Amino acid sequence: MMNLGPLTIDLILCGLTFGVLSVDLALPHGRKRALGYLTAVLLAGLFVVSFFIDVSGSALSGAYQGDAWVLFFKRFALVAGVFVSLGAVDYVDRHFPTRQGEFWVLMLFTLLGMTLLPGARDLLLLIVCFELMGLPLVVLASFAKSEDKTGPGQFAPEAGLKLYLVSSVSTAITLYGVSIIYGLSGTTKLAELGGVGVSPMLFVGLAFALAGMGFKIGAVPFHMWVPDTYQGTSTPFVSFLSVAPKATGFAALAAVLILGFAHQKAAWAPLVLFVLVTSIFFGNLFALAQKDLKRLLAYSGIAQVGYMMIGLLTADAYGMGMLLFYIAGYLVTNMGAFLVLHAVAPNRSTITLDDVRGLSRRSPRLALALLLFLLSLAGIPFVVGFWAKLYVFMAAYRAGYTWLVLYGALMAIVALFYYLQIAKAAYMEEPTDAEPIRVDGSLDAVVMACMALVVVMGLYPSPFLQGAMAAARALFG
Amino acid sequence: MHFFDRHLLAIIVAAPAIAAFIVLLLPEARLAWTRMVSLVGSLVSLIGAIVVAWTYDIGAAGLQRAESFPLVPSLGIELSLAVDGWGVSLLLLTGIIITTGVMASWTLENRAKEFFVLLLLLVAGVLGVFVSQDLFVFFLFYEIAVLPMYLLIGIWGSRGKVEASGPFAFAWKRFDIGGREYAAMKLTLMLLVGSAAILIVIFAMYFEAGGKSFDLSYLGRAQYSRSMQLWAFPLCWLGFGSLAGVFPFHTWSPDGHAAAPTAVSMLHAGVLMKLGAFGVIRVGMMMLPEGAAIWAPWVGGIAVINVLYGAICASHQKDLKYIIAYSSVSHMGIVMLGAATLTIDGWNGAIYQMFAHGMMTGLFFALVGLVYERAHTRWIPDMGGFAKVMPGVAAFFTLAGLSSLGLPGLAGFVAEFLVFLGAWQSAHPWWAIPGILGAWFTAVYVLRAARAIFWGEGPPKDLHELKEAHRTEWVALWALGLCLIVFGCFPRLILDFIHVSTVQYLPLIVKTAAAVAVAP
Repeated sequence: MMNLGPLTIDLILCGLTFGVLSVDLALPHGRKRALGYLTAVLLAGLFVVSFFIDVSGSALSGAYQGDAWVLFFKRFALVAGVFVSLGAVDYVDRHFPTRQGEFWVLMLFTLLGMTLLPGARDLLLLIVCFELMGLPLVVLASFAKSEDKTGPGQFAPEAGLKLYLVSSVSTAITLYGVSIIYGLSGTTKLAELGGVGVSPMLFVGLAFALAGMGFKIGAVPFHMWVPDTYQGTSTPFVSFLSVAPKATGFAALAAVLILGFAHQKAAWAPLVLFVLVTSIFFGNLFALAQKDLKRLLAYSGIAQVGYMMIGLLTADAYGMGMLLFYIAGYLVTNMGAFLVLHAVAPNRSTITLDDVRGLSRRSPRLALALLLFLLSLAGIPFVVGFWAKLYVFMAAYRAGYTWLVLYGALMAIVALFYYLQIAKAAYMEEPTDAEPIRVDGSLDAVVMACMALVVVMGLYPSPFLQGAMAAARALFG
Repeated sequence: MHFFDRHLLAIIVAAPAIAAFIVLLLPEARLAWTRMVSLVGSLVSLIGAIVVAWTYDIGAAGLQRAESFPLVPSLGIELSLAVDGWGVSLLLLTGIIITTGVMASWTLENRAKEFFVLLLLLVAGVLGVFVSQDLFVFFLFYEIAVLPMYLLIGIWGSRGKVEASGPFAFAWKRFDIGGREYAAMKLTLMLLVGSAAILIVIFAMYFEAGGKSFDLSYLGRAQYSRSMQLWAFPLCWLGFGSLAGVFPFHTWSPDGHAAAPTAVSMLHAGVLMKLGAFGVIRVGMMMLPEGAAIWAPWVGGIAVINVLYGAICASHQKDLKYIIAYSSVSHMGIVMLGAATLTIDGWNGAIYQMFAHGMMTGLFFALVGLVYERAHTRWIPDMGGFAKVMPGVAAFFTLAGLSSLGLPGLAGFVAEFLVFLGAWQSAHPWWAIPGILGAWFTAVYVLRAARAIFWGEGPPKDLHELKEAHRTEWVALWALGLCLIVFGCFPRLILDFIHVSTVQYLPLIVKTAAAVAVAP
């Protein structure tokens, strides 16, 4: 009998996906809005269930592993799924009422890829999971396309195509790198890769593998698709795209670098360092010049990825714990920020400063939420982003990268400048359109939940940090 | 009662924050309620501070009323509060300034609710800094004290008239120099660069001491290597010093203070700049004594530049708020000078100057706010003869001015005298000379400003619009004015508290300094 214990959550999720698909067939037109709520409820239920089942152990002849580390990412994906379903349900219902089933099923499939990937302990399985996650994302990115050339779906085909091209090229590059690694080591099992000696060829193989993953997390110099895709596709979907695949990308990076090549750190640390330093630099620099808020947040996200990679660079349980905390904080912060933008302009894919101008008059609650999310992104105390940045800085200092702390902190101030520009528009300027904003109930609930989490994790980070540390320790056995 | 007594420090810190939360929940239209709640919140802090001072055992000295609560146990971060003699005096100062600040903003109507929320949050941060005994929590509170400033200045600030001249005149227009948003952004970004420097120092201490606890006394006992102290101290000086307005990192201060609304200038110049100086002494000098001993000549030398440069700049300004703002830069130089002397008198003087200057500059900014609100200008050439219609305001302005130039019998004199005495006893007695010269310059610009605005010749404008101070404004003016006189005539009321802590902390540093001098 095969032990499928570690795959319980994924199997249930797979079942739920087909369940939603069948319900879609049964529902008449006009009632399909229920599918979004159904997805949210099922995912939330699964999240709760994840606390009561044991998923630790090894499965599929060692190719799959379940432990606290993996469980962290599974839960992360589920939470992101719940938030995005609630945040997008109204949008989906209004813009493509007949295609709702497809939207949610694709969403569930990509979530399945995300929950599966962190446990993969074999390079091939890793890449298959990556594709399972990536292909539905492409379809979802261009989902809003329509015949109407001026509508919200205006740039959706472009967004989807860019994501598709980048995604497939990056997969090809990763596969090429993996093939080199395979040639050197003769195995695809992560645990057995460590025996390879440091050689120029290994460096090349790792560089290719990292480049592919760098595309997925949108780090410089593989970031070109990020702003265009974010700008073109629907905002609630961006809130998901900007968070969940990144976390999965980090799980994959951690699997390859730390489980596979921990002893060859000398070969990959310079690469990671280069990518993170340039990501922080160019992400922040380009964000300064953006007029479109989605593009601005896209570039800021590139910089944030740079900060997260500091945890990866340290390659110890301490640093990885800090990375996990950062990602968790980033989930609520960044999703919240994009969802506020969506709430402000629910029928457009292009959102500029004009849309948030005077927001504090039009909707004090949304303005406060936006302010807190921006402060959290900037790393200001008493919101979660502060602890996130602080913890990765601590990890960096502890690992001997003192200059990186100074560099990161100074670049965070550059970032604060453009975040404050948005806050300024929301709080200090007069609205261009004085109409109060009406927000869909479930979207409002998600924004408030994100805001509450940002504040709670900011005021009392201890339990979350302990959870993240425990998960990180599991990675190191 | 027992509960209140046990957690008095926590209550003092939390009261403004709780008041801010209540104000947040009040409906926008309930302006009177908003003001009352804010006033009660700040009064609770003030009364708490008075009780703390009353019950502080001077004989026993040291840290008293300790309480703690683990915040992030895995990293050794603890919310631990306690108060020493310095803390007592600075708590009192903050309590007085916020209470009078709320009173001085009584007539503010534009988005008053948000204003008071931010103001109270800021004060909670300031109070927290003075009583926290955990370096990390210290930093947290420090950040809360700095950040709301952006919105406070950006939304409620005023713009000054700036005459563009010189080779960089084009930049003045381009960046809207003198505008409130420029000032707010400049202040925030500069102070946060300082925070980045502080963060590194905090990490350095934390990890060098073993990475177990951020407790100040624990970190203070650790032996830091000389090489680490050598780079960490200047970084710490830069970080905290930028908030204290040390030359050449003071440039945010004139713009920021000039643009800020009344209560915010009062708090910022009156209390926040002291946070910076307090940080340099509490974290920089006390935790890194060797670094302090080695760098003290530089700190003192730059402080002297501050005193003189600030005073000279102030005497060239035509904008009333800029005068007071530059005078703060000059007076903060005296604080830093006192700290750099590493003598008992110098340190007593430095802390006393924080206290005295807080009162004085608070009074100044309250008055400037009053004048601006009524005359709608800050431009001195447009004013004159105001004493005819607002004699009270004129009298208080002159009182603050006299304290500022160090007239005996007023609080400013005590502080400056002690600092110059300390400078004379220190290794660099020449510091006293430019210091005293700075006081002379102060006399020039303060008296000139007072004459031009209040006592001078005829009114170029219609004076009928000008009115005397309002009810609550009177209370604020009287409170601050009386404090200046009382603490000028009876300095021991505060000096005793300061002295017990100074004699406890300083000898260790002096010992290290001597050791450094012997074996360089």
